[in-house]
Amino acid sequence: MIVAMSETPAKNDNTDDLRYKIFNREFMPHIDSMYNFAFRLTMDEDDANDLVQDTYLKAFRFIKSFEQGTNAKAWLFRILKNSFINDYRKKSKEPSKVDYQEVETTYNSEEASDTTYTVDLRADAVQELIGDEVANALNALPVDFRTVIILCDIEGFTYEEMAKILDIPIGTVRSRLHRARNLLKEKLRSYASTMGYDS
Amino acid sequence: MNESIKTPSVTDEASTPQMKTKCEHHAECMKVIQAILDDQATEAEKDHFRENIDKCIPCIESYNLEKCIKTSLADKIAKKPCPKNILNTIISKINS
Repeated sequence: MIVAMSETPAKNDNTDDLRYKIFNREFMPHIDSMYNFAFRLTMDEDDANDLVQDTYLKAFRFIKSFEQGTNAKAWLFRILKNSFINDYRKKSKEPSKVDYQEVETTYNSEEASDTTYTVDLRADAVQELIGDEVANALNALPVDFRTVIILCDIEGFTYEEMAKILDIPIGTVRSRLHRARNLLKEKLRSYASTMGYDS
Repeated sequence: MNESIKTPSVTDEASTPQMKTKCEHHAECMKVIQAILDDQATEAEKDHFRENIDKCIPCIESYNLEKCIKTSLADKIAKKPCPKNILNTIISKINS
């Protein structure tokens, strides 16, 4: 394991020492999750590389605002997501540049989200899907819907952590997840259909 | 996941005559099912789920589908390791 600066014997009063210690122990273990999150957001390897690098450098620069004992992974994810919105989204190569507001308006109506919304999709059809098909279905979602599914289902964050990462209320986390999953089911269904599960 | 909540099976229960084939408040149920699967349900939601899930076929089917999708997302999508050169760049910039 590569570490930032050799760890000299503990001198907790030494600010520099502590910074490196926190960085190595709290931040570095999440680098693979961060990389995958960056890649799923940007859908581009070079952008993902830059985004992870920028995020870790920012995290180091602002390490004093990280409270030890709190969830480092959520803290890092929040920085990455903010960097993505501020620096990458503008130049995003994503073809379907659907703005969240726009999507939210479309799906936000009570009718769209609260009527009995069923997609004709069976669990055994989903079970048959391969990883690439599931990934493609996920990638086909607008980025804000994709994000909540990544955070919840792939990274296992709680609603409360997601609310902090995304700067939205917990109620919005719940409803956005609900809509994201309905959209995902539609995408998954198209893959399931092509496999002959279309009844 | 709360392991104490057992997964209902449609086939086992389908023979029970009093099972509902239509759910009149399915939208509400979907919210509870989502919270249960995300392990984020309140005690009240858990109680409601335990008492009612084996009585309603649409809810059982939805639960199984949502669970299957969630598991597929977590297990099937390939996770890449962060490329070594990124790691090295970060470390060297921080150490400089």
